[in-house]
Amino acid sequence: MDEVLVIENLTVVYTKNGKRIKAVDRVDLKVNQGDMIGIVGESGSGKSTLAHAVMGLLPSNGFIAEGKIRLLGYEITRLNDDEMRKIRWKEFSMVFQKSMNALSPVHKIGEQMKEAVIVHEPEIGETEVESRMKKVLDMVNLPHRVLKSYPHELSGGMMQRVMIALALINNPKFVIFDEATTALDVVTQGQILDEIKNLVERLSLTGMVITHDIGVVAEICNKIAVMYAGRIVEEGPKEKILYDPLHPYTKALISSHPELAEGGGRMRGIPGNLPDLSKEIKGCVFAERCPHAEKICFDDRPGFVKISGRKVACFKIKEVEE
Amino acid sequence: MGNFTRYLIRRITAVLVMIFLVMSLNFFIIHAAPGDPVTIMTGLENPSKEIIETLKKKYGLDKPLVVQYIKYFSNLLKGNLGYSYVYDQPTWHLIRERIFPTLVLTLTGSVVAFILGIYLAIWVSHLRQRFGETIVSTVNYILYATPSFWLALILILIFSSKLKILPTSGMYDLRASYHGFRKFLDLLRHLILPAGTLALIQLPIFYRVTRTSIIQSEKEEYVTTLTAIGVSKEKLFKKYVLKNAILPTVTIFGITLGFSITGAVLVEIVFAWPGMGRLMFDAIFRRDYQLLLGIYFLMAVLISIAMIITDILIAILDPRIRIT
Repeated sequence: MDEVLVIENLTVVYTKNGKRIKAVDRVDLKVNQGDMIGIVGESGSGKSTLAHAVMGLLPSNGFIAEGKIRLLGYEITRLNDDEMRKIRWKEFSMVFQKSMNALSPVHKIGEQMKEAVIVHEPEIGETEVESRMKKVLDMVNLPHRVLKSYPHELSGGMMQRVMIALALINNPKFVIFDEATTALDVVTQGQILDEIKNLVERLSLTGMVITHDIGVVAEICNKIAVMYAGRIVEEGPKEKILYDPLHPYTKALISSHPELAEGGGRMRGIPGNLPDLSKEIKGCVFAERCPHAEKICFDDRPGFVKISGRKVACFKIKEVEE
Repeated sequence: MGNFTRYLIRRITAVLVMIFLVMSLNFFIIHAAPGDPVTIMTGLENPSKEIIETLKKKYGLDKPLVVQYIKYFSNLLKGNLGYSYVYDQPTWHLIRERIFPTLVLTLTGSVVAFILGIYLAIWVSHLRQRFGETIVSTVNYILYATPSFWLALILILIFSSKLKILPTSGMYDLRASYHGFRKFLDLLRHLILPAGTLALIQLPIFYRVTRTSIIQSEKEEYVTTLTAIGVSKEKLFKKYVLKNAILPTVTIFGITLGFSITGAVLVEIVFAWPGMGRLMFDAIFRRDYQLLLGIYFLMAVLISIAMIITDILIAILDPRIRIT
């Protein structure tokens, strides 16, 4: 199996008001050819930061403090902005979270989509660009007239489709869907989800799905990594994580989802809040909210344990399992 | 284009109503001001009752205000702007030859301020250090707080009195009678100081609005998207950020154009510019009701036209705004 993405010991830090906030804390992750891995976690868990770091799109106050990202053979962490600009969207791309404002409101959609092609293939012909744009629009079930429309003339669902089309326009080898359905209403969400699922299967896309909705991951992905407070706490094949979660946080997360929760759809919330990421956390990040936590959980950081087909970072895994 | 014609008709109707209201308000305010043209015309020393009576009768000032009001508007509808008591001439004749100088002055001033303000904002946006921006902003605030007539005088002191490179006043050199292109150059030479004053006074608004707008636009989501797909920084700024950022500035341009036409009065007076400013100033002091109303009427019309043009321009630039 080819490794498309390898993340090693990645730490991403934001500086804000003189504080250093560790949004991603020593994360290791591998994505193989054909894998669609879902990164699940609540807001502030660092999943979006992880995606932006992979794309080389961290905001100006964020930087990679440690670690390596190797994507399709490129050492992302060693490339400068210009070098990144040349390969991004040619080799890999991303569907952004808020599609409604994701394109300039005073330029036609076609004009902006065209940029994604001509920047990377300057000698390409006008008709070729046109046909390629039409091809991706067909893929996402949008009429060709969208090219001549302005963003405000489309609905939220249509704009999201445009963004998916834009991500697919150069036939990328790796795609990140960052909360691709979050901003939509439930009905449209379902439609877009189905379309993404079809595309992923048809084009056998490799990539990442960033979401807080574990249901989305259940639809599209074959693997899941659960993130909490900047760390991955459990990672493995979808079925294992969804139907046999081991980490206390994964368990809590799944039992807070209406369809996945056991016990006749009774949902349970997780008491407490995310820890303060500007402070160093010695032990397990979930310890404060964990019903199984003991002294060791607060004092040492748990390493990954390979157990029944997945990796879990928990000291108390034996007891939790029982 | 049916939509557009309908839009234009609707706008013009609205403008006509607005002008009527403005003129009515002006009419009563002017008449409410203490003093009247006849007393001023006859001078301060006990004028005879007969002269006053005759003059009042001659100009229809003896009638009740409401009657005067109706008479004024019925004349206006016929295209008659009224009659100046002081100059003893139809108002239109007095104003006619002063429209062009005023328009040349204010439009030049505003357009220069508009372009310079935008360029300054763009230039500052490309500065690496914050220091440069601080300096530009400080100068900007000082300019914003500067009275136009004072700036005009200072510019005259520097460029006319000390350096002697520009004329102090007027629109053309009276001693030379140029024609054709030479005349145009002469006009330009005379235009530099007054238009420059107006431009400097208005510059801060355009700079501030554009600068804020650029900062805002640069934070928008589409900047991330377009950066992500590989559009270069330069192209992103020139083609995308700027077009988005300039929209509020165009709106502001339309709004301030109205103010600058009336605001140019003081500058016109300082530079003895043969525009409507001086005429208006005198008309106020001499309570030349009909002349004053005529000037106000013209300004209201000019401002309305400026606003309609701005609206159309915005609709062309911004697809989200549709003229219907």
